[in-house]
Amino acid sequence: MQPVNLPKKRELYDVFANILVCVFAVANLFPLYWLFTSSLKNSSDVIKMPPDWWPRTFTFANYTEVFRNQPALRWTFNSLYVAGLTTLLVVIASAMAAYAFSKLRFKGRNVIFIVFVSSMMVPKEVMIVPLFRITQDLGLVNSVYGMIWPNVAIAFGVFLLKGFFDSAPDALREAARIDGAGEVRTFLQILLPIVKPGIGALFILNFVQVWNDYLWQLVVGQEKESKTLMVGIATLMQDLNPNFAYKMAGATVAAVPMLLIFILFQGYFTRGISIGAVKE
Amino acid sequence: MKLLRNQTWKENVTGYLFIMPQLVLFLIFIVYPIIEGIRLSLYKVQYQQETFVGFQNYSTLFHDPVFFKSIVNTIIFVVFIVILTVGFALFVSSAVFDKNAKYVSFIRGSYYIPVMVSMVVMSMVWGFLLNPANGLISYAAREMNLSTFNLLGNKNTVLPVVIFVTFATNVGQAIILYIASMIGVPKDLFEAAEVDGASRVQVIFQILIPLVKPTTIYITIINIIAVLKIFVVIQMLTGGGPNNATVTMMYYLYNNAFKYNQLGVASAVGVIMFIITLLLSVPQLRAMFKER
Repeated sequence: MQPVNLPKKRELYDVFANILVCVFAVANLFPLYWLFTSSLKNSSDVIKMPPDWWPRTFTFANYTEVFRNQPALRWTFNSLYVAGLTTLLVVIASAMAAYAFSKLRFKGRNVIFIVFVSSMMVPKEVMIVPLFRITQDLGLVNSVYGMIWPNVAIAFGVFLLKGFFDSAPDALREAARIDGAGEVRTFLQILLPIVKPGIGALFILNFVQVWNDYLWQLVVGQEKESKTLMVGIATLMQDLNPNFAYKMAGATVAAVPMLLIFILFQGYFTRGISIGAVKE
Repeated sequence: MKLLRNQTWKENVTGYLFIMPQLVLFLIFIVYPIIEGIRLSLYKVQYQQETFVGFQNYSTLFHDPVFFKSIVNTIIFVVFIVILTVGFALFVSSAVFDKNAKYVSFIRGSYYIPVMVSMVVMSMVWGFLLNPANGLISYAAREMNLSTFNLLGNKNTVLPVVIFVTFATNVGQAIILYIASMIGVPKDLFEAAEVDGASRVQVIFQILIPLVKPTTIYITIINIIAVLKIFVVIQMLTGGGPNNATVTMMYYLYNNAFKYNQLGVASAVGVIMFIITLLLSVPQLRAMFKER
């Protein structure tokens, strides 16, 4: 802020570019607006042309129908359980590993870390056939645990948290050792509280990622009752029921939890997503 | 001496114990599937019976016109979606990054919300909007007397539509990354350019874009890999059709594995995709390790 330059003239390009950015931003949200408003229309209004841009009659009948015709509550519970437990396990396993890679000296440390990080780039979907057969052999098809374990194996959390452990000073650890704290206590009571922001970011990012992990959950959850919300709701699109308002109500049910998470934790996303990128 | 060796031995064991849970899961659910996938790609699999067939699955693949179609489509998707994503995200981020924080977070949010609600939900909405009988877009197309209103049923329009839907849903992530990296560019660089009388467009092209190049590389690679496994939008919007016009490698793999029960062939597709992603991620990995 230099007062000398004020009032600064905005360049024409800047003005136009920002107007366009705003127009596109609103346009980009239009499909979601259409989703919500359509879900509140009745079965004939929803396909009326020319359309009602704002619902004339509000009805929640589509929502009650989704929960009555489909085990949507069960699906929601499955999704919460899968996303919650996966994330909890990811945080535990990757915090331990990241601590070791950052602070402990052991043979093969660098090689193992490089292998972990390299594996992050390969989507598990390309190995879906052998992965499914293992899941089958372990008896985990149609089980939430079949959806959980393969996602815990992904090393993204190790990579993310190692950066946070690296920035915690080694002196802290040494001080704890001199006070006679063992490795486990040093980890749990001294280092873990310091990397809390990293754990927060990992928790949110991973929860969303698992919640939206469609293909693997589609393959594992084959029985109606064992589906997750995303997979279950997606079946509504093929449902014989021609009422689009009903389908849109289902999609809204699947969208709302993620919207809430985003609104509540926006800061974590911005930080968490950027951490994975190369720093300048 | 003995004490020292005891010390390093203890450090080693502690280290291994700490990485043990992650390592075990990694071996079972990542390393083993890769090895098993390569093995299966050399076998004909019928239920519990496996017969070694060498490279027959691969030669089957390369004689299947649908597989070729899936490669071509996947390449088309990757090229267009990545170019659109990088170009548009650069445009948006360079326009807003130096504005006030509230505005930046509003723009970031608007573009990121579709990413959050996921491709499944967005595909459902787009499926409704594009529905030939009662979708809003089909209605608009009819009102404007366009030659086709069934945009998903026409093989000339279906690719651009899928490209657009995927791009519009996922561009928010690139925007978040670019804004973060542009905010990190030192302010004095812009001030110096301003003193020299550079216009904003010049500043963007000559200072900003070169300086965020590492971010561009990162965004390009993660998007290539993400589009390479494009599946949800295909399954939900087109089912690979019309007439295989939108079959992708992942969709082809999925159908072979879980519909046609061709596990060997599906594994071979997986191995090919695995090699491609591995090659693509080399520059990114090199950049990550150079930092250390």
